[in-house]
Amino acid sequence: MEYNLTINDRTDPVHVDITGDNSFEAARNQDAFEVSFARISDHKIAIQVNGQTFNAHVTRTDDGKIVMIEGRTFTVRDADLAERRKTSGKGMASAETEVTPPMPAVVILVAVSPGDQVEKGDAVVTVSAMKMETTLTAPYPGEVTSVNVAEGDKVMPGEILVDIRGQA
Amino acid sequence: MFKKILVANRGEIALRVISTCREMGIKTVAVYSDADVHAAHVLAADQAVRIGPPEPSLSYLNLDAIIEAAKATNAQAIHPGYGFLSENPEFANRCEQEKLVFIGPPSRVIQEMGDKITARQIMVRGGVPVTPGLTSTTSDPATLLREAEALGYPVLIKATAGGGGKGIRRVDAPADMVEAWEAASREALNAFGNGDIYIEKFFTRAKHIEFQILADTFGNTIHLFERECSVQRRHQKIVEETPSPALTPELRQEMGNAAVAAAKAADYVNAGTVEFLVDETNNFYFLEMNTRLQVEHPVTEMTTGIDLVRQQLEIAAGNPLEYTQKEIVPRGHSIECRIYAEDPEKDFFPCPGRIDFLEEPKGPGIRNDCGVYSGAEVPVEYDPILSKLVVHAESRELAIAKMVKALKEYVILGVRTPTDFLMDLLRSEPFVQGEVFTNFIDQHFSDWHPGDAGDAMAMLAFIADELAPPKSATAQAAANDTVATPFQTLGNWKL
Repeated sequence: MEYNLTINDRTDPVHVDITGDNSFEAARNQDAFEVSFARISDHKIAIQVNGQTFNAHVTRTDDGKIVMIEGRTFTVRDADLAERRKTSGKGMASAETEVTPPMPAVVILVAVSPGDQVEKGDAVVTVSAMKMETTLTAPYPGEVTSVNVAEGDKVMPGEILVDIRGQA
Repeated sequence: MFKKILVANRGEIALRVISTCREMGIKTVAVYSDADVHAAHVLAADQAVRIGPPEPSLSYLNLDAIIEAAKATNAQAIHPGYGFLSENPEFANRCEQEKLVFIGPPSRVIQEMGDKITARQIMVRGGVPVTPGLTSTTSDPATLLREAEALGYPVLIKATAGGGGKGIRRVDAPADMVEAWEAASREALNAFGNGDIYIEKFFTRAKHIEFQILADTFGNTIHLFERECSVQRRHQKIVEETPSPALTPELRQEMGNAAVAAAKAADYVNAGTVEFLVDETNNFYFLEMNTRLQVEHPVTEMTTGIDLVRQQLEIAAGNPLEYTQKEIVPRGHSIECRIYAEDPEKDFFPCPGRIDFLEEPKGPGIRNDCGVYSGAEVPVEYDPILSKLVVHAESRELAIAKMVKALKEYVILGVRTPTDFLMDLLRSEPFVQGEVFTNFIDQHFSDWHPGDAGDAMAMLAFIADELAPPKSATAQAAANDTVATPFQTLGNWKL
């Protein structure tokens, strides 16, 4: 997966490979990180990186996450998420009104085409993250106006996979 | 001793007072505005009474509503905390009239010490050194210019009423005098209804050092040593400590004696604080007397081992002081950091909001006087202080290390706090050396920004949080969607 992460106003590309249950490798500029982690609670994650352990506290905001580590506060934003939202022509992405994956995933199946009529709850796209498959459904009845992804695409939270024009 | 008292305040100080009352078996009544229905102090008290809408003038400053709440709940005494009505002589007077014990000095003393010129006159009579300058107000430009010439520039024009930095102007040259005087007077008239001003010497590299005093109704007065309060931002203290690294034992004793003399000159009763300016040549001058419990009182409690709120209650109940001066023996070193909801990168501008998550630091010698909790709202209407983080250790060096450790462990999510700024400040060379003057932050930290250190860790935390979203996020998504996906209902699943 490729991220563009903005931390306290500086943006860098980050390459991430998931290597197993609760572990990944990340590379940013010249730095490589081998990471394993455990979620302790809603806001607390224990992280081991290159053999060193630290605790991070995370909260989600409207446009990113606030991360606190050892008394220091960081604002971390997914720069592409802002881009994806811009192209979707809307402000905030949400599972309530948009077809978007809840986490980084790969598209397995696209069940609709432009022009199709869908009912609320109809399957539109199936995605897979690691060993988990899930079906994203139409959030409201309407007409599919565009399909923005193809099978095999890597997709990110906030990305609008299918545009549906609601019934008047 | 009282059976029940009303605490006429909110936030951490209300909790602080309630805490000692509970230890002493005294019932407590909290008061609250509509912004504080579920505030921590309301949850902690035995009873709580609504006193009005969020606006301070209609709630926490509402004399009638608070007196009525005390009477309705049969409280015998009122603890005013700090701020709000704590230094309002009219409120103390009303309590006296209504046969409610005001836990603080008599209204007359609050009145006299609240007027800077009257206070200066009382101190001069009591033989306490005051900052060089006038001891009466004037509106004659010739007198101001003559006095300024004698003092030497820069000088400070000060309103005799009020405080909080209002009605104060620094004047560097004679040409600026008239304009500064008019501006200060106008500001004071608007803010306090009294435009009287006077003039005193301005010290560019001064230290702000205050002494805690206790005085009972039998004429016994003692001091509990000093607090160093020179680290200020926007004219408000942010780090305090005791003992002051600047005082020699001789100077400490001399100033302690002066503080007791000041309290006696003022006919002081209960806990109070005498503020001094100390110049570069170790001359000290009476600045003002604070007729309340100070925000920074915990550092004194840590080193002396004395609960100042308990002392306030004992004195207010008419009991004599339990200690003589020579029994007050401070031990070790204590530092306090004020944790406000504010942004240290944006000139400490307040950041009210909801606290998503709070984890307080723990460990030997760590105390956190905290007025909020996970899920609490920090209202926009009031001072955004969240807590006071206090440490006690054997030496100043160890206290700094303990405070840095505590700040590292302090997690507050949802509102910005200055924990990172405070860590940098405490570890800075001038602070470690004790080279701390009132212009410390302006001089060393005026353009502070967090460094890049640790941002890679933040990046990895972001990714980990993406890969294993918290239960609350998935539960939230599920709640928003009538036909939930497995992603949204599985909860805390792992990749």
